[in-house]
Amino acid sequence: MTHQEFLDQVDAYALGALDPAEARALETHLASEGPDPGCDAALARARDAVAAIASDLSPVTPPPRAWEAIARSIASPQSAESPQRLRAPTRGHVPAWAYAMAAAAVLTLVVSGLGVREARRSAAQASASAAECARELAEARIDVLRKEDALRLLTEPGTQLVSLRPSAAAQGALAQGSGVVLFNPRGRALFLGRSLPAEATRDYELWLLRDGKPIAAGLLPPGPDGRVFADVRPELLTAGRPAGFAVSIEQKGGERDAPRGPVILSGALASP
Amino acid sequence: MSLSAEDGGVLEAVRRGDSRALEDLYRRHGPRLYGLLLRMLRETADAEEILQETFVEAWKRAAEYSPSRGSVEAWLITIARSRAIDRIRHRGARLRMVRQTEQLAAAEPPPADPPDVHAQTRLRRALGTLPPEQRQALELAYWAGLSQSEISEHTGDPLGTVKTRVRLGLQRLAELLAG
Repeated sequence: MTHQEFLDQVDAYALGALDPAEARALETHLASEGPDPGCDAALARARDAVAAIASDLSPVTPPPRAWEAIARSIASPQSAESPQRLRAPTRGHVPAWAYAMAAAAVLTLVVSGLGVREARRSAAQASASAAECARELAEARIDVLRKEDALRLLTEPGTQLVSLRPSAAAQGALAQGSGVVLFNPRGRALFLGRSLPAEATRDYELWLLRDGKPIAAGLLPPGPDGRVFADVRPELLTAGRPAGFAVSIEQKGGERDAPRGPVILSGALASP
Repeated sequence: MSLSAEDGGVLEAVRRGDSRALEDLYRRHGPRLYGLLLRMLRETADAEEILQETFVEAWKRAAEYSPSRGSVEAWLITIARSRAIDRIRHRGARLRMVRQTEQLAAAEPPPADPPDVHAQTRLRRALGTLPPEQRQALELAYWAGLSQSEISEHTGDPLGTVKTRVRLGLQRLAELLAG
């Protein structure tokens, strides 16, 4: 590798975007050159740029168990070589291919135009509501990687589906709206909504319910087709399992502490 | 003393086997790294696990740190992102079949910007000034953990074009965030 080739690839290397063989070639160049100021400076600039992107994110205090696990690992000579696993909620022992097959089966049925009943019959592992979620995802106008990620969550062991149904406060067109939250106790939640018409002067807002209190979980801007697809920020899930979820409709910008507008959708998270 | 210089001193103590220094380093950088990992991995359990692995690796490899190759923070972020990308790619392998199925079957218009419940940030404003193709390449690499080859496969653009976008995009972004 020439110095120029190194310079051409160092940004991708710092991003982690090189293929393994390319990364090894670059590391070999770094090792063989020794302390080459030009290479080191280019790598430092690229790494600092990658760090600058991260530094723009809000810090999130990890739970105390995170440091406790690190302290245990470095205190034990054996475990220092093999970090102890945190694994608060554990994954099941179902082979990974099974989830891929389940996701593929559901998606294939959906995109080939079969109905929920057919999907249930053919993909025994997929419940009706999971098939409905997959159909929503297939139709959502979102990036393919976000769809893939959502399908992964849908097929992840432990994921629960929380149906959010219209409340009495939902009047007129709002009464047609519905939603579902995909919740996994590993600390992930995703909201999918439909038939939520865009409002010129108001915003939809998602709420977590925990210990009898609402926690603002972000605004839900609907697409032109009335669909909503939004991640629940994982830091909101670090404090424990929510009791349920709700959607209200608020003045532009939403509310911080509690809904002031009508709660139009709500649903409870079943006990594990 | 600058944060970077303080970090250098703390890491020197870590190198000598001072576990309290590692805890100091964790208190300085753990929350930022945890926020990054939550954003990349979108699961608290995976984020906690990679955070732990990052600091255990820093403990074991402190002697390898070279200040001429970036700040301590950048070094920690490199370790954390590398492990997070491994985790993302592990997930991706099992869903490649789904992706291929979906790409073939989902005849839809180009995706609109997904709804984002996060507040507008300086980073988002800086990203907004990049040409869309550079922004897309950077986001796929940074957040989705795609390699340049995978980005090329995903977007259908030639690999050389993707490489240029990644290089120019990161350099431009560094200028904007530093400014």
